[in-house]
Amino acid sequence: MKIGYKWIKEYIDIDENARAIADALTMSGTEVEEIIHETILREVICARILEVTQHPDADKLSLCQVDTGSEILRVVCGAPNVAPGMISAFAPVGTDLGPGMKVKKAKIRGQESFGVLLSERELGLTDDHTGIMEIDADVKPGEVLLDALDLEDWVFNINVTPNRGDCLSAIGIARELSALFRKNLKLPEFVIREDTTPVESVLGVEILAPEACPRYAARVLEDVKIGKSPFTMRRRLFQAGVRAINNVVDITNYVLLEYGQPLHAFDYTLVAGHGIVVRKAHEGELFVTLDSVQRTLRADDLLICDREKPVALAGVMGGENSEVLDTSSGIALESAFFEPVGIRHTSKGLNLSTEASYRFERGIDPGIQMDAANRAAYLMAELADARVFKGVIDINYLSDTAGDIVLRTEYLHKVLGIDEFTDGDVEDILTRLGCRLQKTETGWLVKPPRFRHDITREIDLVEEFIRIFGMEKVRPLLPTFQPMQMSSLEERYQELRTRIAAMGFTEVVTYSFISPKWKQFFGENMMELMNPISDEMKLMRNSLIPGLAGAAEKNKHLQNRDLALFEMGKCFDPTSQGNLPEEEYRLGIAISGQRTPSHWSERAVEVDFFDLKGIIEVILPDAAAVPSAHGFYKPGNQADIMVGERPVGHMGALHPDILKMLDIEDDVYVMEIAVDPIFARVWRGMQEIPKFPMTWRDLSMVVKDDTSYQDIVRIIESKGIRELRNVVPIDLYVGEKLPEGLKGITIRITYQSDSRTLEDKIINKWQESILGSLQKDLGISLRQ
Amino acid sequence: MEKQLESLKLAFSEELNLAGAPEDLEPMRVKYLGRKGALTGILRQMGSLDPEERPRIGSLSNELKVFMEEALAKKLEGLQTHSVFKGIDVTLPGRAPRKGSIHIINQVVRELEDIFLSLGFNIASGPEVEDDYHNFEALNIPEHHPARDMQDTFYFTSDVLLRTHTSPVQIRVMESSGLPVRIIAPGKVYRCDSDVSHTPMFHQIEGLWVEEGITFRHLKGVLNEFIRKLFGPDIPLRFRPSFFPFTEPSAEVDMGCIICKGKGCRVCKNSGWLEILGCGMVDPEVYKYVDIDPETVTGFAFGLGVERVAMLKYGIDDIRMFFENDLRFLKQFS
Repeated sequence: MKIGYKWIKEYIDIDENARAIADALTMSGTEVEEIIHETILREVICARILEVTQHPDADKLSLCQVDTGSEILRVVCGAPNVAPGMISAFAPVGTDLGPGMKVKKAKIRGQESFGVLLSERELGLTDDHTGIMEIDADVKPGEVLLDALDLEDWVFNINVTPNRGDCLSAIGIARELSALFRKNLKLPEFVIREDTTPVESVLGVEILAPEACPRYAARVLEDVKIGKSPFTMRRRLFQAGVRAINNVVDITNYVLLEYGQPLHAFDYTLVAGHGIVVRKAHEGELFVTLDSVQRTLRADDLLICDREKPVALAGVMGGENSEVLDTSSGIALESAFFEPVGIRHTSKGLNLSTEASYRFERGIDPGIQMDAANRAAYLMAELADARVFKGVIDINYLSDTAGDIVLRTEYLHKVLGIDEFTDGDVEDILTRLGCRLQKTETGWLVKPPRFRHDITREIDLVEEFIRIFGMEKVRPLLPTFQPMQMSSLEERYQELRTRIAAMGFTEVVTYSFISPKWKQFFGENMMELMNPISDEMKLMRNSLIPGLAGAAEKNKHLQNRDLALFEMGKCFDPTSQGNLPEEEYRLGIAISGQRTPSHWSERAVEVDFFDLKGIIEVILPDAAAVPSAHGFYKPGNQADIMVGERPVGHMGALHPDILKMLDIEDDVYVMEIAVDPIFARVWRGMQEIPKFPMTWRDLSMVVKDDTSYQDIVRIIESKGIRELRNVVPIDLYVGEKLPEGLKGITIRITYQSDSRTLEDKIINKWQESILGSLQKDLGISLRQ
Repeated sequence: MEKQLESLKLAFSEELNLAGAPEDLEPMRVKYLGRKGALTGILRQMGSLDPEERPRIGSLSNELKVFMEEALAKKLEGLQTHSVFKGIDVTLPGRAPRKGSIHIINQVVRELEDIFLSLGFNIASGPEVEDDYHNFEALNIPEHHPARDMQDTFYFTSDVLLRTHTSPVQIRVMESSGLPVRIIAPGKVYRCDSDVSHTPMFHQIEGLWVEEGITFRHLKGVLNEFIRKLFGPDIPLRFRPSFFPFTEPSAEVDMGCIICKGKGCRVCKNSGWLEILGCGMVDPEVYKYVDIDPETVTGFAFGLGVERVAMLKYGIDDIRMFFENDLRFLKQFS
């Protein structure tokens, strides 16, 4: 909420500077986010326009004789409202109105001009630019405008917390300041010139939904002269960010900002049957609000109706059919209390938030409806020449039933932990805040003021006390504790992260939401947000791969061709039982480009599938790779990662369709794996360090293309030779030296015994046996 | 003649010692071992020797020949090794292992975790997709309360949403574990908000300490100690009353601006203070949802934004940098 300091000062005698006011409010819980200092140049003075004649060569310009108090000057002016006798704002030659806007003696269409007459907008006072400023106060030509109208001001931009609806007004802030600075609050005093005809004879009010509208006050006015509001009122509205419309609408907004009570003015002649009926809407009922939007209502929305039709959406916005226009003369004025939850429901449901709904939602003062109605009627009588019917209709189902709150001294100590206050401090502070206190044996019985509907519990009083007493007076104290250690799971996440980073990978953190374009690769099994930031961020990822691919795309396009990325984070599986998805913590890795940075000593090598597989072999030695057929990987270049029977992840080259979609030219190799199997380390007991030498034999063979390395190993292992220690492939050849459909592979078999040095004879026997099986089962032949 | 051989060996050795470059060695070979060289000259005198002496001198001169050849070869190798120009260029770049890095947010999370562990907290976690009950209702934010406007929520259904803060972990921990509770809960949170200073996903750390005898003084004590460990010993703190539905009394904590030392600058908007976290005493209403008697225990809770801490610590001025995954940014923190 924005509000001018001068306005607040109308309700409290206070001399502190704006900064001190802001600090006091901020440090008591009502944060002033910004102070805007408003002033205008002292060169700008009041000047009377003596004579206006038509510019000889320009239809829209006038030649004015202007009395500046010290001389009569000629000024060329284009404003439509310029008229003899009027006093306006004048900037003489030499005034610097801003960059490139220094006032100079000028010739305009051949006529000399010695200064500029200014609009309110040009002075930054309001947004009115329909003509030059028309000063409606008693000032003399030559007076400095800033002083003559006392224009210097400070606008507070106040962040009122949701529990403090009572602070959403000038009087509300003044009331808070009166508690902080121990000053009296001065409420507006006025006497309404009333007509003798009672209001009841011209308007009837009927509440059909008293739980939603427990109080409805109304006044009726006649012979209203719709026009422009006085400058001071328009400026205060402008400071608060409210647009001036006409005096009647401006007054309702002014009183709203003054008291915090939303008001609504109807064109009385458009209120059919001269009656107001407050009722719930019918499901699907249509209603056109002031902003010309037709809205479909729900059964629990509240309507203000006349005898025939709805005329306002209660507490939110009036209807187009009863709007006050320049032609209106009769006004029905509403000052009601609507139940906060209902108004919020309507406002949210229609996605329509207004100054009125904002305040009703936060709870307005239930005791203020009459005052606000009277204040508005008074202002309309004064400023719009209205005739006010006698009396106020006030249908009131509200009762002040709130009980007293028990406040224990001991509870204050228990929550705050401090002893540095006296009973007197508590009584003083709560009394200043408008509470009535009654001393008891253990503390007090406290009755909070009606406008503080947020104070209902003992803890609320503790908060009220400490926010005024001062949190800075609470001395810090460390509780007793023992330092803790990270749980082993947390520790392992951190360790894995460190390990992967130490292998040369850069960690990325990508958004958990991904674009629907990934559905074609990762399936429909993704949660969808009802209200995404954008369509591109609509689905909850069920894989880390889209994010990693996106990071690869981004960096490739930033000329960073060689990538080694990883991410650790959750993926979401909506098919789990229960109302929440299964969240699995995974590790994803993406590599592309050169394996190592270009180096002068060797030719650059591009990464491939086996770079990925090597990482798996290091972090999850028990895993096996099994050929797979995922749609997001290139066919034949991918594998599932298995631990026993359980698939724990997968790896492969990104499918060319994905590369094309992302406009990536290089192959990108990606893997994704659940982290928990990585942490499941198995200790198999201490292995004895071998005492006897090992021996190895190489076997170069020619095998069929579709024979996998795994097939060869399986046959060798099936021989059950205890001394067999290791089998590794040391060469693989595919090419023209071999017939089509065959490949050459050389394996190295290592033997070692725990009990003796192995002799050639026995090794040769094993080799022959292995070779025999390979020939028989796989049809291999030895390579020459 | 034997003496001649000995002095020749001496002269050769001295000359060889002085040789400083590989090209000095060939003239030496010619001078001592060539066809007109010194050793050949001596051997030519063999005819004048006693026939009995000849085999011995022959063998000696042969030894000398081998000695000189080997010495020359060895010297050549040595000179070549020591030659900067014939050796390697040590100014060429080395073969460095690739350098990786942990994301700066996770580095900061780790640092914060370590501080809170040292202050007696355990680490807890909870789901990122939450239900309305844990994210709002049990935190005393009923459905039609304006406090819901404080956070723009992403919804899947009317009941299932992305957690808007790490506070639901408070509820989950109090539901499942006994008293006392001393936990922090780091993690991702989501709000439907995206501009220069907001990303729809960010990280928070929630703290909760519930135990008999805990007061507002302890809240201040713990947070003072935390800020001191994170930013240094001389940072002033300011507790400013505020409102959160699940704590009362509530406060925003400001710390003296670490950039201008409180004098006022762009980062602190000339106030000299930086908002760093929100906190308060756990609202008695919250205890009711988790079946704890608010008369028996008290506690405090706090929450802070990890990105905010990282931005202040490392002078990063655009929060979106964290999730753009530009390697030129990420690698600065390796």
